[in-house]
This record gives sequence, structure tokens and C-alpha cells, in this order.
Amino acid sequence: MTRVASLGARARRLPLVGFALLYTVVTGGPLLWVASMSLRTTAEIFKDPYGFPSPAHWEKFADAWFKSNYHSYFWNSTIVVVCAVALVTVIGAMAAHCLARYAFRGNRLVRFLILSGLILPPQLLILALFQILLDIDLYNTLTGLIIVYVATHIAVTVYILEGFFAQIPQDLFDAARMDGYSDFEIFWRVTVPIGAPAIFTAVTLNFIVLWNEFLFAVVLLTDDDKRTLPLGIMHFTGSHQLDVGMAATGLVIAILPVVLLYAFFSETMIKGMTAGAVR
Amino acid sequence: MAVITVESLSKRYEGAAAPAVDDISFTVADREFMVLLGPSGCGKSTVLRMIAGLEPITSGTVSIDGLIMNQVPAKLRDIAMVFQSYALYPHMTVYDNLAFGLRRRDVDRAEIERRVQAAAAKLGLAAFLERKPHALSGGQRQRVALGRAIVRDPRVFLFDEPLSNLDAALRVTTRNELIRQQQEIGTTSIYVTHDQVEAMTMGHRICIMNHGKVVQIGEPLEVYRHPADTFVARFLGNPPMNLLAGKLELGDVSAVVRFAGAAVPLERKASLASFAGRDVTIGIRPEDIYESPPPGASKSFARLPTRVVAVEPLGAETLLVLSLEDSRDELVARVGRATALRSGDRHEVALDIEALHLFDPATTRAIA
Repeated sequence: MTRVASLGARARRLPLVGFALLYTVVTGGPLLWVASMSLRTTAEIFKDPYGFPSPAHWEKFADAWFKSNYHSYFWNSTIVVVCAVALVTVIGAMAAHCLARYAFRGNRLVRFLILSGLILPPQLLILALFQILLDIDLYNTLTGLIIVYVATHIAVTVYILEGFFAQIPQDLFDAARMDGYSDFEIFWRVTVPIGAPAIFTAVTLNFIVLWNEFLFAVVLLTDDDKRTLPLGIMHFTGSHQLDVGMAATGLVIAILPVVLLYAFFSETMIKGMTAGAVR
Repeated sequence: MAVITVESLSKRYEGAAAPAVDDISFTVADREFMVLLGPSGCGKSTVLRMIAGLEPITSGTVSIDGLIMNQVPAKLRDIAMVFQSYALYPHMTVYDNLAFGLRRRDVDRAEIERRVQAAAAKLGLAAFLERKPHALSGGQRQRVALGRAIVRDPRVFLFDEPLSNLDAALRVTTRNELIRQQQEIGTTSIYVTHDQVEAMTMGHRICIMNHGKVVQIGEPLEVYRHPADTFVARFLGNPPMNLLAGKLELGDVSAVVRFAGAAVPLERKASLASFAGRDVTIGIRPEDIYESPPPGASKSFARLPTRVVAVEPLGAETLLVLSLEDSRDELVARVGRATALRSGDRHEVALDIEALHLFDPATTRAIA
């Protein structure tokens, strides 16, 4: 009886497994293809686009890193993304704490203004941002890009964090107030540690998105030594030549941190997104 | 030493039609355990939160030892509060939860250690100090919440329905534990509950609230025996007091109240004069209705013909639901477990005349 039932259950699961496999192939396939191309020369790739890397040209990574300025792009990306994520997390968490916790006058208006950033397409902002950065002498600087990243990612950060913070029971805040803690100490010692899963989710999401950000970077940075990784790919794609092999190597260098981050922290991230009430 | 005085305290939330707390006043003496009792939404928790400093006061004053606290922030009032949800910090161990308030007050490390260990020993938490709250049972969490208040050694304890999340058995033991702790520590306490058993057993005095107002304040048995109005009469006691419609007739030297086919002679008090010939509400508690007058009793009893609608044996006693002749009213009587009465029986019960309460039907207030 149980054997029959378990067979039935397996049969019912089959479409789900099939879909998961298909999804893995669709998403993982291109990744593997780029990874294999990163170890092959452009000539080899043109000869056989789907071939296996044999021999594997590991030296291409050293070439990209040192000869094609990737160490500089990587460093620029790291500075910009780490600073922007740190700032957007601190500012976003404080804003989310206030919106979730305090019934101040204009609370709804402030929330509306911040969250309306979610629906603004970045293309709409690009001209205005260009002009503003030019006016305040931050055009073509990493600082300018960091500020733009912070501004454009506050909305999604507040959105993720406020929902979570609002679920933290009010009694915890009242208890901390009676214990003598100030508003900032309550934020720091109660909201932040309890909201850590959500904060972690916001950090990871923002990191991934900003690490791959192209549009603002390409418009707001012009000097080669200030470019971030996604712009580095352009190094191999000119109007007259296309070095597919090196572009693939560059792509792998660019996406490696994100893939590693996701591989190690995806579970924690999903937990943070789906966590229920704190009890 | 701490005397809490609440004077003409009111709270009105923006946009609300009626005030949540409406002009209430009371005083809690030093070392007294005062219970605020009332149904959900009567404003008792709001009063507590205003005393704690967690809720702005619309009008009136809260004073501790004569000093008005209205503008004093919660952290400077030296009050500890135990919350209904326990409000334990989920990311901290039991030890850190207990020590959290002391650390902010710059108590030195050795003293924190001493106080936390003492409270943990007192509350049986010594073995759990390194655990996080999620690894504790409901009763243990409740004790941590209490311990957090105790270690602070505050002037005043406030309790906001601290037992309502516990199961029935644990509630009884924790209640007894709380009574013992309060007797030992002797700190002035205000305890909010909607549970009349907690109120009756724990409070030195009970303050009963309804619709944001204080209805009656007094010692538990005093309030139980002499309810100020029909709300208190029904709210205290389980099953609640029976209320019946009747009419008062006054003679020159005697008074008679007639209801449900019975005519019960009463002592003719001066306060009854204005109710001569008028409708009154008669109250009688279930335990004051007897299957038959107890043998040798010196009290006088009134006989009331009834029909048994239901018999509810509770083990130690039995509840009888009785319908009255000539009226649709029903009575509940609490009788001995050995009763032979069965549903459908006709039976004449005996009412203890001295235990009858009279209320004004218009105002619901007791007629003294």
C-alpha cells in the first residue's frame, strides 16, 4: 500500500523535477558556456563555438588581470560597491526603522516619496544625474557614482527592511525604553540584531545588483582608470574588433564574486526574505 | 517607598469618538498590590502605559511620591514593566536579557553578576542563563520577564496581563509564584488583567474599569460582596450574579420586593424610600441560592418555584440552570455535588434574603 502510494507521489513530483531541470539548463547553460569560453582563445571559439577547453588557457586570466587593466576595474568596483552598499544599508535601515516604528507627522508622505523610487526607470534619471554631478564636480569620480548608487537603491532597501522591522513586536521597543535606552541605542541594539536576516538580504541583493550595474557607470565615468568591472568588458569589444575569448574571461572575473556570494549565502538570503514574525 | 497617584487621567486618541481613558483617579499606597481589572478595551492597559511613560497623557496627572511624572521620560521614572508578550530580546541569552537594563544604568559588572545570579536562583532560572528565549518554555520565559523586572530593583512594578499567554495549570503556579515574590519584595505594583480570579487572589485592592472609567475600587471581597453596579456584579464571580427584574413595595414599617411570583420581605432602609412602587433589578449570586434551606441556619430564606433546565456537574459542585415561573428569566444556582435534581424537575429553591442585592435599573447603580 505504501509502496503504491510512494510511487504515486513520485509520479506527481515528476513534472516538478522536469521543470527544475529545464530551468537549471536554461540558467546554468549560458554560465557554463561563458566559463568554458573564458579558457579558450577567440580563434578556437570561432572554429567551434561549443567546444570543450582543450588545452585550457589559464594564462588568459593573468592577461586580463594585468595587461587589460582588470585589477584596476576590480578594485574600482570593490570600492564603489562596498561603500555604496554600506551607506545604503545604514541609511536605509535607519529610515526603515523610523517608518516602521514611529507615528510621526508626514510618515506616509515620506514613505511614499522614498518608495516611489521603486517605480522610476533609471533611464529617466540619467540626464539629470549627469548634469547634477557635473555641477557639483563629481562627474567622472567614484564618489559621484557611489552617491548615485546610494540614492537609487534606498527605495528597495527601505522596502525590504521596513516590512521586516514592522513585524518586530512593539513590546521589545517599549521594554528597551523602560530599560533606559535611547532611540538610537534601541535601533542599534534591538532592531539591527533582530532584523539581521533582512539586513543581510538587502546587503546581498544590493551587492549583486550594483556589482553588475552598467548604465550609470557607463554614463558617469569616462576615464579608463576609473571604470568598474562591467565597463571593463567593453575593453574587448570595439567598433572594429571583438575579442570574444577575452571578453568571456573578463565576464568570469566580473561575475565570480557574485556567484560565490550567492552560492554561500543564498539560503540565508531566502530565509531573510521569507522570515515571519519574530517570536 | 513609592506612592502612585493618578488624578483625572484621560487619554483620547486622534480621531477616536470616545476617550480610551476618561477622567480616572486612584492612589496606590506604598508596597500595595493594585489590580486594574476590566474587559478587553476598557482602557486598563492604556492607564498602565501612561504610568510607565510609554503613552502620552491627554490630560490629568500621574505622580510618584508626590512628583508629577507627566513630562518625565520612561527611563527616568524608575519603573519596571512585565509585558504580556514577555518582550524578551530574542537575540540575547537569558543572562543578557536579565542584565540588559542594568548595563544601561552603568551598574558595575560584579554587581550585575550578583543581581542576575540572585534573581536567577530565586526564579529557578540558574540552569538556563546561557539559553536564548526560543529554547525556553512559556513558563520559563515568563519567569525571565519577571526576573528582568526584579534585577532592576525599581520603585514600581507594572504588570500587563503577564499570565495570559500561559496554559491554565501553569497560570495557577505562576500566579502563586508572583504573589510570593511580591510579598517578599514588597515593591508597589500595578497589575492589569481581565481575569477576575487573578484579581481576586493577587490584589490587595482591585480597581474595576469599564469603558475607560473607574467603576469601583476596593478590597477583593468587599467588591465581590458589595458591587457598585450591575457591571461589577456580573463581571466578578463565575458564574456571574443572577439579575432579575422586580418591583419594590414599601409599607410603613416593612419593604417587600416582588419578582417571579415571589414576595420577599426586606429590611426597610431609608435609601429605599425613593424607589417605592418602582421597578428594581434584583441580584443574587449562584452560591446564595440553595436547593433547600441549610438545616439549623439562622438566616431567613425566600422560597422560589422553578423548573430545572439543565444540571451541570463540575465535580466539587453542581450548577443548576433554573427557569422561573411567570417569567422568561433564568437563574444559575451553585449547589452541592450530591443533588438529585434532574433536568425537567420542578423544584422550590431557597434564596438567602440577606444576600439579595438591589440595583436601580435606570442607572444600574446599587441601591445601598
